[in-house]
This record gives sequence, structure tokens and C-alpha cells, in this order.
Amino acid sequence: MSSTRSAIAEPDFSSKKKTSGIQIVIYVFLVLISITYILPLLWVFNVSFKTNKEIFTSPFSLPENITFDNFSFAWTAGRLGTATLNSFIVCAVALILSMLIGSMAAFGIARLRWKGAKLAMTYFLTGMMIPIHCVLIPLFTRFAKIGLSNSLLGIIIPYVTFSLPITIFIMTGFFKGMPNELIECACIEGANIFQIFMKICLPLGKTGLCVTGLMTFIGNWNELLLAMVFISDDAKKTLPVALSKFVGPYNTNYSQMFAAIIIAIIPTIVVYCLFSNQIVDGLTAGAVKG
Amino acid sequence: MDKMLRNKKAIILFMLPAFLLFTLVLFIPIVQSVYYSFCDYKGITEPVYVGLKNYKTLLSDKTFGIALKNSMFFLIFSCVSQLIVGLIFAALLTNIKKGRNAFKNIIYLPCVLSSAALGLMWMFIFSPKLGINQLLEKCGVEEAPLWLMDTKGYIILPMWVIAFVSLWQYVGQSMMLYMAQISGISKSLMEASYIDGCTKAQTFRYITLPLIKPMVATAMSLNAIGSLKFFDLIFNMTEGGPNHKTEVLATHLYQQGFKYFKYGYASAIGVVLLILCLLVTLFINKVVKTEQYEM
Amino acid sequence: MKKRRLLATLMTAAMFATTLTGCGGSSGGSSNNSGSGSSATTNNNGGGSSDGVQEITWMFWDDLNATEDKISLGYKDTIERFNKDFEGKYHVTPITTNLEEYYNNLNAHVSAGETPDVFIVSPGPQLTDYVEPGVAAPLDEYLNKDGWKDTFKSDAVFTQQTYDGKIYAVPLNTAAACCFYNTEMFEKAGASVPKNWDEMITACDKLKAAGYTPVTISAGTAWCLSMVAGYLCEAEGVSLPKLADGSASWEDGKLESVGNKLLQFSEYFQRTAAGDTNDVATANFYNEEAAILIQGSWVIGQMNGANPEFESKCGVFQFPGVERLIAKSDSLCMSSTTKYPEASAALIKYFTDDTAQKYTAEVGGKIPVTNVKYDESVAPKQLSYVMDIFGKAKGTFGFYNESMPTTETGAHFDDTMVAVFLKDMTPAEAAKDMEDYYKANCRK
Repeated sequence: MSSTRSAIAEPDFSSKKKTSGIQIVIYVFLVLISITYILPLLWVFNVSFKTNKEIFTSPFSLPENITFDNFSFAWTAGRLGTATLNSFIVCAVALILSMLIGSMAAFGIARLRWKGAKLAMTYFLTGMMIPIHCVLIPLFTRFAKIGLSNSLLGIIIPYVTFSLPITIFIMTGFFKGMPNELIECACIEGANIFQIFMKICLPLGKTGLCVTGLMTFIGNWNELLLAMVFISDDAKKTLPVALSKFVGPYNTNYSQMFAAIIIAIIPTIVVYCLFSNQIVDGLTAGAVKG
Repeated sequence: MDKMLRNKKAIILFMLPAFLLFTLVLFIPIVQSVYYSFCDYKGITEPVYVGLKNYKTLLSDKTFGIALKNSMFFLIFSCVSQLIVGLIFAALLTNIKKGRNAFKNIIYLPCVLSSAALGLMWMFIFSPKLGINQLLEKCGVEEAPLWLMDTKGYIILPMWVIAFVSLWQYVGQSMMLYMAQISGISKSLMEASYIDGCTKAQTFRYITLPLIKPMVATAMSLNAIGSLKFFDLIFNMTEGGPNHKTEVLATHLYQQGFKYFKYGYASAIGVVLLILCLLVTLFINKVVKTEQYEM
Repeated sequence: MKKRRLLATLMTAAMFATTLTGCGGSSGGSSNNSGSGSSATTNNNGGGSSDGVQEITWMFWDDLNATEDKISLGYKDTIERFNKDFEGKYHVTPITTNLEEYYNNLNAHVSAGETPDVFIVSPGPQLTDYVEPGVAAPLDEYLNKDGWKDTFKSDAVFTQQTYDGKIYAVPLNTAAACCFYNTEMFEKAGASVPKNWDEMITACDKLKAAGYTPVTISAGTAWCLSMVAGYLCEAEGVSLPKLADGSASWEDGKLESVGNKLLQFSEYFQRTAAGDTNDVATANFYNEEAAILIQGSWVIGQMNGANPEFESKCGVFQFPGVERLIAKSDSLCMSSTTKYPEASAALIKYFTDDTAQKYTAEVGGKIPVTNVKYDESVAPKQLSYVMDIFGKAKGTFGFYNESMPTTETGAHFDDTMVAVFLKDMTPAEAAKDMEDYYKANCRK
């Protein structure tokens, strides 16, 4: 993580000339690329204020009157409000649980002394290669039988599980990197193993927790398949599901659909704009390690 | 201290939660899934063992053939395109002075957005009467292509469209991985090459490329597994249509499992998917990963 | 810090407890479906039964709070009426989903032992799926009480809902698949209402020459295209029961001829037919972008809801060249594990009472199943045309994909017809494909 960040702040060392021709070409190219990234979003944002008719008559001009009717319709009929709340609950709980359980296991693997540590690590790492699709049916049938389908807990449990491998992997690295002396010191002062974990290792592994937390949260926030299969109750749907299901009946109400899309992605965009550097670096650091 | 770290109770306490969750929610279901794939198991009835029947049906299932073909297409396309485009972006971004962060953040943005929402957005942009086709109409193109409905060719147009959308969405991640690795290359190494009279291009070819090779393996296996798991974009852009021609393994599994309730059959598709994921990871790590250079 | 740890431990412990029970539950045999049914039901609606109110659930395939569909809105009224009239005695809570995921969710409820007390099903193999494992209860006992059954038009309305002489579902309304057309476009193009297939093609030619898109259809939603194929099969005299028992073959040239007609007809489809969904194709029609829509008469409610001005321009004719009509009814089943059969039956009865049936005709534009008198002048104009056609038709038959041995076979037929339309298969290949499929999956 630290290496990535320092690298980005590093000044460019390769070109000592003033902005050359090649540089200009590069800039033009990059600007064009950026346009392909921003323009579709802007277009959707623009048309989400229009009426259905306007979308067809004047698709590229600014909307005639700014109304929020589309948004309020999408918000109520699409139940995007509840869905956002559900997504938030699910992701927050899954985040806390996976960080706690994951770093506990990572601590056990990295710091505690037992024979099976390596084997346990391999066991958890295989989980990274397993796609969620493969366990969908057994999980669904079992959860349906014990009444966990159609409940938020029913998707939190798999979310936590699927976040574990990466959390354990990254946190193990962090815990292993901590100096032995720290733990010895604490030991001499009479701390027990739980205190060492909670008061020394966890605070020191903050960076790691942030990285894994970020990956977990974003991954779960956007997860569609599992949530779609497990949740059928409209009041319990998460954001991606509510959005995808909103299309069905409102297929031809384009402007409302666009408003729904905007509602669904605006929170992420806002957070991203505020913390873009941290998010990008954090996620990259996580991916590098994984 | 050693005694404390060897405390059996502590070890169990620390490992148990993760171990239990992992076993119950991941490992046992995988085993069950493999078992179901040998069963006739439909919705509300109990599974009945039928041997290899599901796998035999897979062979004659045309949609499965299409799904497999499309998944393979995505796999190859995303590995190759993400490698090339990601590297180009990374190389360009490391060579500019100002605004690097801004460009980087813009290109990375779709990676954190919900692909369900982006899929819908692109579905509308590529729909026959909206978005791109409105633009083309303004430019005087009369028979604008049916981006997501055309069915001609071996790899049909909608597949290319979806493939490019996924490239658009995820290239930021590959780019960042390569950038992290490029900026990790020590300055002295680069400077040495300049002193030796290498041009920028030569430096890139002979210093940068070999040094980022390990990262290529990482990025590629991420892409490969990601593309095999591919679901959200397709589900929201075409739902596998027209006539199942844009189906991939994940959407076919969903259809068979949760539309026709053929749990056994869908499990067989899941097993194929799992095997593919494992094979691809092994393959990439064997072939692409070489020794780490000292930097 | 200590508190937090405690909390965390508690949370994890709680989670394992649930997961563990899960494991035990599934491995220890799972024949607890019927046993847990009733308790789960109360669970569902917050356990209101304590104060003597019988709480039941009703599962439906449209979101009652967001829908614009007139029929769905009518059901919403019925539910509200029921809850008001039986206040303090019965109470029903709707469980709604959208149509695409309806059966998925219903099955999830069933396998969780939470079968909704009353649920809607399409007749045909889908209903069979719930009758055979005993999920749906026979309803004769209730139908025969208080002359409920006598209010229906005839016993024939129960044909598709009867298994071994017992009625397992109550139809609520009937819709027939007809050709809806834009009278204004027909007039301007000089086209007349076709009586047979050749006239249909002539009319389409005229419409095309006048610059209109003659037909809007959805191949993206496969059953829409296959409905046309179903009519064409009927015209050719295809017999599904004979095909199912093996006394007829798909390769007898009839399906091939259907395929050829379909290809001929596809020349007149809108350009985006391959990918358009049902809703988009229907919107093309009521937004006056195409002249003919072949669709079930439930579409009347949808069209008049979305574009009220269009009602006066919309005419209806029977699919040319056939004498029978494709018809379909929404039907309600009662769960065999319901705790409150009386309340459930009372609810179903509410859907077929005069108020509901009158609404069905006058506002929803569907054909009522009972002998209710309704005011033809307020009902949508299209309904009277449909009723007219319905009266003249020599009987009805089910949707092709819903009249085949299994739901999957129906889906396969749909896909095969779409493949013919997309020219992925020649009609002859399609016939062979269907025959092979039947041989492998349907005949014993």
C-alpha cells in the first residue's frame, strides 16, 4: 500500500524536456478516453430529467424543465430507498463480521504457533478461486429449508464467507510483518492473547483492515446474482437487485429507468469523488496482494 | 509467551469462526453441488441419483455450447484486451506530468460502480432507438446497427459490444496494477538505461515489460476468473438473448437453475464452471508467471 | 473494549447457531415441509392470529403498488375489499413479485415450507407442477358449497384446472389471443380485415407499401412469437396430444409449413423484433408505430392504461385461417398446508364475485368467468370485439408452450420458433429438432 502511494506522488523522471509534441498527443488521447468514461454517465444524468417524449425528440439537448418526478417515481415505485438502506445494512454487517472473523483467523495463522497453520492458509486460499455460482443452488435450497432465504441474514452469511479468503490473506501478511518484540513486550506486561490481538495487532493492522474493508464493501455493494436468487421480498431487496427488477415492468418508461440508474450509482460516485485516491490505491494494493 | 501462543484453546477460538463459516457455507455446498450434478433434482422434489445423465445432456444442449463458446470468447478477449489496453494506459499515465491522478481516477471509476447499473445504462445506450443510434441518426446514418440484437456471424455483434463494455468497465483495474508495478521499478535502473542511450520505447520494451511480467500473471488471473464469472452485465444488457445467443455459463446456470428449476442440471454447469476456473488459474500461473526479478 | 468483544462474540455465536441448525436440518432429512407450513405462515405476517384474526397470504405476479395494469389494480381492489369486509375475522397479506421471477419465488416459498395460502398459477404444466406433488389442494368441497360453482358460466371453464375429476384451481378471467390492429392505418393503407392467411399477407403488403410497419411482435420474449406459431400450427391441424403420445410426428410436414409461413410473415415485422421484449413490442403498437399486434386480450388493460386515446383507433380481428381461439385464464390455487382453508376459500370466492367480475370486464377488458351482467358501454371497446370473436369461435385451446408435456418442452418450442425466425434453423430442421426433443424427453 505504502509503496503504491509513494509511487504515485513520485514526480515524473523520464522527460526532462518541456511539454513535447508527443506529450500533447498523449494528453489529447487521454482526454478522449476520459470523455468515453464521463459522457455516457453525463448523458444518462441529463436524460433522467426529461420526459419520455423529450428523450426521443431532443435526446442531446439540456432538459426543458428540471423536474424530479422521474426520481421520485423511481424512488417510490422502484423502492430504491428501501433498497439502498438494505444494501447498506447488509454491507456494513458483512464488513464488520468479515473483518473480525477474517483477522481473527489471520492472527491465528500468522501469530499463533500450531502445526496446521500452513494447511489452514491453503484451505482458505482455495476459496479465492471458487466462483459464487457453484454454491448457489446448495446454499439456496438449504437456506430455503431453514428459513434463511428471503432474509438479509441469508445473504450476509455468504457475503462474509466469500470475503474471508482475501481478508485472511491480506491480514496474515500484515500480522506476519509485525515485529515480534511488540508482542513479547505486551506479554511481559501481562496482556493475554485477546488483549494482544485487540489492542496491539488490530490497531497496527489498520491499513490492512482498510484495504480489505474497502474491497469487501464495494464487492458486496455491487453483488447481484446471489442477492437476486436469495431475496424475493420487495422490501428486502438490495440495490442492484431492485434496480434490475425495476426494468421488467417499466421497460418502456425510459426516463424513469434513467433516474433509477442515477439514484443507484450516485452514492458510490459521491463517495468515490471524495476519497478517490484512497479508494483507487487501496483497491489496487488489495488486488496486488491477491 | 511461547506457551500463550501455543494455547490450544486460543487457537481454536481464533480459527473456529472462519473455519466453520468457510466449511459450512463454501466447502460443504461445493461437495453438495458436485453431488447434485449427478442427480435429477427439480425444484420442489428431492434429488435422485442418475449418474452422468446431466453431463450427457450438457453435451447435446445447444445453449450450453453457445454459453461455453461465449465464455471462452470473454476469457480470451478480456485477457488479451485488458493486457494490451491496460499496459498502454499505464505507460501513458506514467509518462505525463500533470493530471495523472485525475485521469487515473476517471478511468478507474467504473470499477467501483455496480455493473448491474452500468449494464442497464449501456443497454439503453445501445438500444435500437436511443443513445448511440440517435447520435448516428443525427449524423445521417439510416440503417443504424442493432447493437444488442444482431445475430449474424460466429461471434455475434452483441457479444463484441458487451465485451467492449466490460473492457471499458474493468480496464482501470489492470491499468492500476501495471502502474503500481511500473512505479515500483527503481529509478536508477531507468536512469541507467537512459545513460546507455536507450530511447523511451526501448526502455519500455527491455526494462519495463520484463519487470512487470509477474504482475501480468496476477492481472490476467483476476481478469480470467472475472470473465468466467461474468453475469451482471449480460443479465442487464441482453438477458442472454436474442434466443440465448449471448448466454454465458453463469447466465445459463441461472436460467436453468432458477427459471426452469433444474437444480441438478444447473449444478452440472456450476461444476464445469468451477473446473474451468481452477484450470485457468493453474494455467496462467504456470505459463505466465516466471521468476521474480530483483528490483 | 471488553463490551465490544463480548458483542462480537455474541454475534458470531448467533451466526454459527443458525448455520449449524442449517446443516443439521438439511442432512437430517427434510421432509418437514408440511409440518412447518403453518407456523411459517404466521411468521410471515407478524403473527396476527393471536387476536383471533385468521391471517393468510396471497402470492401474485405484479407489484400492486406500482402497477398500471388494470387487471392487477382490480385484484388490489379485491384484496382491499376482502380485508375490509372481513375485518377482525380474516386478513390477507399479498406477497408480490414481478412475473419473470414469480415461479422462482413461489418455489422458494414452497420449499421453505411457507407455501402462500393462496397463489396464482397459469393452467397447464405449471399448474401440474403444483398439483402433482400435492402443493395445491382440491377445491371441490368449497366450490360445491353455497352454489359458488353455479355462478360460473359453465363447468367447461374448469377444464384446464381439473385433474382426475378434481378441481385444483379457480379461474378468474379468460383472455383470448387476437390480432389487434390500428384502424386508422388500415384505412389509410386501404387494407381490409383479413379472413385467411393470403388476405393477411395482402393486408401486410398494403400497409408496407403505405410506409407503415405492418406487424409488431416480440421475439425477445419468445412466447410472443410462438403464439403466432401456435395459431399457424392450429391452421395446419397439428395435434399436440397425438404428438405427445407418439401417434403423430413433428416431421409430417405441418411444422415445416408453419415455419415457412412464419418466415414469410416475418418480412413484415418491425426491424427490432429479434430483441424487443413483449413490453416494447406492445408499446410500438399503442404508440402507433406499427399496425398489427398479435397478443392476448389481457393487453387491453395495459394499452388503455398507458395510452387512453388509442382505444378508439384499436380494432380486433381473429387470427385469420383458424376457427378456434388461444385462451388463457389466471387461476388461483389454495395451499394444501394452509392453516385457514375457510379464509383462503373465501378469498378466492371474492375474486369471482360480481363486483370483481364486473370490474374484470368493464375496466380490465378481460372476459369474465361467471354469468355476471356488466355494462357493455363502459367496458373497453376492444372487449366487445373480443367477446364477439369469442362468441363466434368454435372453441378454445391453450397456449402452445403451456399445452406441452412440461414447461421446458414449451420453452424449447418457443426457442425453436425463434430460431426459425432468426434463420438459425430451416423449418425442416426445426421439425426434426422438435421430433428429436419429443423422442428424448416427452414420450415414454
